[in-house]
Amino acid sequence: MVAWIGSRTVPLPTAIEQAAKLLAKSRCPVFSLDSDIHGCRSLIALAEQVGATYDHVNGRDLVHQVALHTDIGGFFATATEVQRRADVIVVVGDVPAVHHDLLLSLAATTPDLPRSGKRRWFHIRGKATLALSGKLQRRAKAVDAGSSDLPIDAVLGVLRASLAARKASVVLDNIDAFLGTVANADFPVFVFSHFGDAASLTMLQGMLIDINKKRRATALFLPSDDDAWGMVLTSTWMTGFPPRTGFSTGSPVYDPWLCDVDRMIAGEEADLHLWVSERDEVDPPRRSGLPTIVLTRSDRPVAGAAVTVRIGKAGLDHDGVVYSSRIGTLRSAVAKAPSDLPSVYVIVEQLQHALQGEDVASC
Amino acid sequence: MKPLTFTLRSEPEERLDLSGLIPDRLGGMPVVEIAGLSIGTSRSPAIVGDIFKITGTDAANIVFAGGSGRFDFVGAEMKTGHIRVDGDVGARAGRRMAGGTLVIEGKAGLQAGSGLKNGRIEINGDAGEGVGGPMAGEIHGMTGGLIIVRGKAGHRSGERMRRGIIALLKGCGDYAGLNMVAGTIVVAGRVGHYPGHLMKRGSLLFDRRPADLSPTFLDCGRVDIAFQALFDRYLMEEKILDRPLLGAKPTRLGGDNAVLGKGEIMFPRG
Repeated sequence: MVAWIGSRTVPLPTAIEQAAKLLAKSRCPVFSLDSDIHGCRSLIALAEQVGATYDHVNGRDLVHQVALHTDIGGFFATATEVQRRADVIVVVGDVPAVHHDLLLSLAATTPDLPRSGKRRWFHIRGKATLALSGKLQRRAKAVDAGSSDLPIDAVLGVLRASLAARKASVVLDNIDAFLGTVANADFPVFVFSHFGDAASLTMLQGMLIDINKKRRATALFLPSDDDAWGMVLTSTWMTGFPPRTGFSTGSPVYDPWLCDVDRMIAGEEADLHLWVSERDEVDPPRRSGLPTIVLTRSDRPVAGAAVTVRIGKAGLDHDGVVYSSRIGTLRSAVAKAPSDLPSVYVIVEQLQHALQGEDVASC
Repeated sequence: MKPLTFTLRSEPEERLDLSGLIPDRLGGMPVVEIAGLSIGTSRSPAIVGDIFKITGTDAANIVFAGGSGRFDFVGAEMKTGHIRVDGDVGARAGRRMAGGTLVIEGKAGLQAGSGLKNGRIEINGDAGEGVGGPMAGEIHGMTGGLIIVRGKAGHRSGERMRRGIIALLKGCGDYAGLNMVAGTIVVAGRVGHYPGHLMKRGSLLFDRRPADLSPTFLDCGRVDIAFQALFDRYLMEEKILDRPLLGAKPTRLGGDNAVLGKGEIMFPRG
């Protein structure tokens, strides 16, 4: 059994029909998405069809990473280029554990393109930055630079001022070693993931702009969540915009505040929530009074949901396509344990078909 | 002539885009036509007549009798005339306004005065984040004009500001003047974390020493220049403040040295 209306088990076509009815009569539907590329493509197409606003399930974590690209821009390289060219790697702040294997593989290799053929590591740390994991630190022998008293954006500001020979009111640990190494490097690469604020990202990319006025340097951006970043790329190629985009006027409108699905729900602007996640043991937050359609891995109906449909996971139950920051592009994910559970793409295709028989308000 | 008045019938069920209800667009338009303008933002958008009762005829002088946090883009792109809102407004009031006056008697939401080019915005309540700031993807925030917030302002006031004046009269949140290129921000009251972070040029004028400064600002000592006296006089003549903000020989900090370092933070001695 894979579908429920409320807590009542129903055949899948019945659940699809009920979900289509809810979508058709909704005045302001919102979608929270977390799926592979195929799933996201189909969900964004559905959002366009029904005039919905969409965001990633963890949109709050993504918003600064997206803003880096929409508001700031920057210098970026892929991990493969970093492996061959980087003679200095500077890890900035915390990098999620999911990327430590990539960092370990960089630490296990030496660059073949720079003259020196060697690679030095630094770790820029602020007040709340964790030390590199023991194994990575042993391999990389990274030198810590920064200050345990300052937040990371202030540390980056002092580094940036120092690189431009401007003064600051504090001195950072190992700053001379850092400045000397960067000054003599052929291709320093700053590795970073998400920060809690846009100011740090602005400061880091500004520092790269400064360095690139006279020599070369770049950054390796490791998203906090590869699957979520895949959804960002899908949204961008389909609509021209990253998530927090809405189709209420018929055309895609990107607005990180107006199209913040969590805000729209809290502000009682949304009247229907479609929540989709392929992750295990992740349930949608309970919202009293808001009809919710849930596509989930759970084998039970979600409490409070109007309709629940059980789905498979890309790369486990069925083949899929996901983003990989290791190669900097999309890769196929072959099913490890193929099952009969439907993919998000299949469910959405059925929903779109069912909506053809409904009177969907024009956008 | 009586002002063209939009009296709110009840709290709207959806967010409203009120950018169409400005003097420049409503001048000479019959009431029936105004009532039929679409202002809703959902799939079945509301029209003006659903939300407001319309009275008066003077489109150069518009009044919203009753406000709501769902009134977005009030006065956006306005070039001339006067708009008063007797209540709260939502996001981006006065967005890219190029002239005229917008008075908000209640609170304003996100990015009031976003991308303001000219004109005057007065907010008598609190203002949300990003006063005068840019929308996503824009290079500059406010490029001219005057914004006065008589309540508290949120984080990132004056972000990427290029010209103009912002006066925040009951303090502001973190990162005031973030990424500022030029212009002036006046703050009376408590200032949050790292004012002037990443500012290239421009002036931040406070009534007290900020508690939490970026280490890339340096103390330049007390300065004895004509600017602060002129500016204090301007603030009082415009009835923004009723007493001098900086006084004689204010303390000056220079920064942000992480970028160009040609900005300044000034506050009274003591």
